[in-house]
Amino acid sequence: MDEHMDQAPTWAEFVDGLEIFADPILCGGAAGLVLGYLGVYVVLRRMVFVSAAITHSAGLGVACAFYGQIHLGLGLLTSPVLGAFGFGMGSTLLLAMRSGRLGLTRESLIGLIFIFTSGAALLVGDRIGQESHDIHEIIFGTAVLVSKQDLYTVLGVGAVVLALHLWLRRGLVFAAFDPDGARVQGLPVAALDFLLLLTIGLTVSVTTRALGAMPVFAFSVLPAMAALSLTRRLGVALALAATLGLSAAVLGYMLSFFLRFPVGASQTVVAAAFAAAAMLLGKLRR
Amino acid sequence: MGEQHPGCQEQPLITCQGLQVGYEGKALLPPIQFTLDHGELCAVVGRNGAGKTTLFRTLLGLLPPVGGEITTCRPDMPMAYIPQRVKLDPIVPLRARDVVAMGLERGGSFLRPGPGRQGRQKVERALEGMDAGQLADQQFRELSEGQKQRVLMARLLASEPELAVLDEPTAAMDEVAELQTLELIEKLRSEYGLAVLIVTHHLPVLRRFADKVIFLDPDAQQVVAGPPAEVFAAPAFQARYGREPVRGADHG
Repeated sequence: MDEHMDQAPTWAEFVDGLEIFADPILCGGAAGLVLGYLGVYVVLRRMVFVSAAITHSAGLGVACAFYGQIHLGLGLLTSPVLGAFGFGMGSTLLLAMRSGRLGLTRESLIGLIFIFTSGAALLVGDRIGQESHDIHEIIFGTAVLVSKQDLYTVLGVGAVVLALHLWLRRGLVFAAFDPDGARVQGLPVAALDFLLLLTIGLTVSVTTRALGAMPVFAFSVLPAMAALSLTRRLGVALALAATLGLSAAVLGYMLSFFLRFPVGASQTVVAAAFAAAAMLLGKLRR
Repeated sequence: MGEQHPGCQEQPLITCQGLQVGYEGKALLPPIQFTLDHGELCAVVGRNGAGKTTLFRTLLGLLPPVGGEITTCRPDMPMAYIPQRVKLDPIVPLRARDVVAMGLERGGSFLRPGPGRQGRQKVERALEGMDAGQLADQQFRELSEGQKQRVLMARLLASEPELAVLDEPTAAMDEVAELQTLELIEKLRSEYGLAVLIVTHHLPVLRRFADKVIFLDPDAQQVVAGPPAEVFAAPAFQARYGREPVRGADHG
């Protein structure tokens, strides 16, 4: 048996298992595609750590949901998807507030949310006991399998968010480039900014439960960095980032299967490799 | 472009009566009175931090007035604004024509399908009008300051406003680019019939281009508004700038 375990899995075994792997590959691919697209706004609007803070908040939400189920007997009232959604969106709304009202800069608020939720997720995980391995999954992402519920949630939310972004693209770009000019021409800049944050928060929340915080953060930053290094057209960058996000998710899953690595880490490393290669290529072309 | 609305012919485009600008209810300057008519160019001058941008933002409705009144000749009068170029996000990868196409957006127009052939023609005409046709496919962020300003003025033109507001349009430019920019601003007024409000530190050319000047001095709590000669002769203005710029303007 040990001898069998030492042998690397074959392509035939991967194809045989596709019935099982199809859902996590589809889920990861959809998440990579939508997060890759949104990532262009995350990078251009300098919101990289906004994405990190929301991702970790969603992770804490999942941990709290498990704690509620196991220790408080709350059952389905505390589903991990709802936990991720509630905490992720809570952080999103907090970040949408004018941080000046709290006497803080936005960066400080992001840092506070990020570090609090990261630490609290580990503390809650420590008290979960037999389910503590899930905290590892939530943070680092080991989505070998995903539930049908997670898959449908990611596909549904992803489709709505992508459709909304394609529809509102001209307004979102104008508001990002010149908010005052856009306001003077009557565009609802505050609403567009809020919608951008809301769609990022929503997508990050639902994908964190399915894939884990680390690959979600990676997909929301690295494919966009790669795309923006390769092209100087915004429309092309959006399409390329979505394609690279999808590819990183699928190739990362395959890498984890053939080399027996954790899924989330593999997807993250593939996305990072794309970004590094694209930046190098971009530099050479200039 | 710049056509007068029937209801606007008999009255100034914009009238400020006792306008006070500032933040959180605190006025920066004494009350300001002035009117701007169709096709007039009004320059706002004052040291850094004098409240020029605050005045512009208030006139544009981006800040509420602390006191007084702003009346436009009609409630939906189209305005366009070019902020200081440093306020534009330099990392968004856009071609010059993408920037100009933003001028076509008004209110919720971005919810409808793209501008189509007519819109694209309008963008081309605006670029040509501001001598920026050859820049259309270049990256906006890679243009010189003078070229960027020409593209932004083309965006302004594409939005077909009645009032154009430009905050420090000649900042960080060499003399040649500065003069070219001022000539294009003059073209906005003379050829396209727009009323123009600009912030400038270039005093010697004020008399050549400006119909009106508003001088702001928050230290002395003085605001002087009127024709250039009148403002240049005001003791508050001369206390700040001396007489040299006035002579320069006379010869410009």
